[in-house]
Amino acid sequence: MIFEIKTVYSNSKYFLLSVVIFSTMLVGLLILSEYIFLEPYVVSHIPSGSEFGFVLIVMISVLSALVLPMNIFRINILKKSKQKMGSGIFGSIIGAAAGACSCGPIGFAVISTFGSVGATATAFLTNYEIPIRIIAIIILVITYFTTIKSLKSECKVNFQY
Amino acid sequence: MNKKGVILGMFVISIIVVIVASMSSSSNETFDVDMTRTHGSISTALGSPILGDPLAPITIVEFGDYQCHQCYNWFHDTKPMITRDYIETGKANLVFVDLAFLGRDSPKAAQATYCADDQNMYWEYHNSLYTFQESKIDNGWASSERLKSFAFNLNLDMTLFDECLDSEKHSKRVQYNSQQARDNGVRGTPGFFIVGPDGQEQLAGAQPFSVFKRILDTMV
Repeated sequence: MIFEIKTVYSNSKYFLLSVVIFSTMLVGLLILSEYIFLEPYVVSHIPSGSEFGFVLIVMISVLSALVLPMNIFRINILKKSKQKMGSGIFGSIIGAAAGACSCGPIGFAVISTFGSVGATATAFLTNYEIPIRIIAIIILVITYFTTIKSLKSECKVNFQY
Repeated sequence: MNKKGVILGMFVISIIVVIVASMSSSSNETFDVDMTRTHGSISTALGSPILGDPLAPITIVEFGDYQCHQCYNWFHDTKPMITRDYIETGKANLVFVDLAFLGRDSPKAAQATYCADDQNMYWEYHNSLYTFQESKIDNGWASSERLKSFAFNLNLDMTLFDECLDSEKHSKRVQYNSQQARDNGVRGTPGFFIVGPDGQEQLAGAQPFSVFKRILDTMV
């Protein structure tokens, strides 16, 4: 496992991509979920009872930053299928969407634009925020292990050449 | 002759009944509010009663939805400190204005607060809603039955409250308030305007006490 991770991230391009994905997702989700405010002052704040939601956001960001560059590496370097990349992106997106649509500007825009359909979708994403984020984490973990497994066999084949 | 008299009498009585009914229904739609009340750019005429000293130099206008979890967080985390340091000391007051958009029970919950206001129990009812809010939107915690049970627990006159809530007496009031939010560029709840003697500052989201303190201290 360590060997595969080293193989991917020893390439500075993929390491940089990982840092960018992690920081963008973390800061973006913390702003959307109102753990960070930018105006009128930059301030961070974890309301009591919201600690678990914060931990889930950190986990989704870490896993996305780990899984997505590894799959891009597989596609670019090893010329393999994009299937696992798709499940990695899917996990990241549903993890990001959960909770982002509550009473904040995104939820307001969705409800204002799509009316009752938007309200139903927003209510679903808000009501099941924690379970959706946990499902996203499970998808990302499964994608991570299947990607490691693939890299193990694909790298072996490549090194034989 | 007698028959004609009876018919005429019934006709007169039915006209009187219709007039009395129409008068009582139109009296249901009148509000004892000051329609000229504004704070900064916001018409708060149909918002909540003022919490704190009406003559305080600063007014915090909160736009909120009773089903919004971030409003719940602000109510429990930040508002107690603002109440202690600014409202109870007469430095600021607070007005709540509805932006009821999150679910089908949101407008009904907002209307219920004004039914409580009819019995001078607005803030007690408002506090009940944010105390007993459940995290799921439209799961029934703010259904008509539950709204009535909150009123019952506050010892409100249930005949008046039920009649008020069932007739949707305050639905236009809630719509007016939500329109005020949109007109003032509020794009989510909770949203705040801190209106001081020299202008107003807009805040979006359930921001911590430190942010309010910095702004309020510059205005006091």
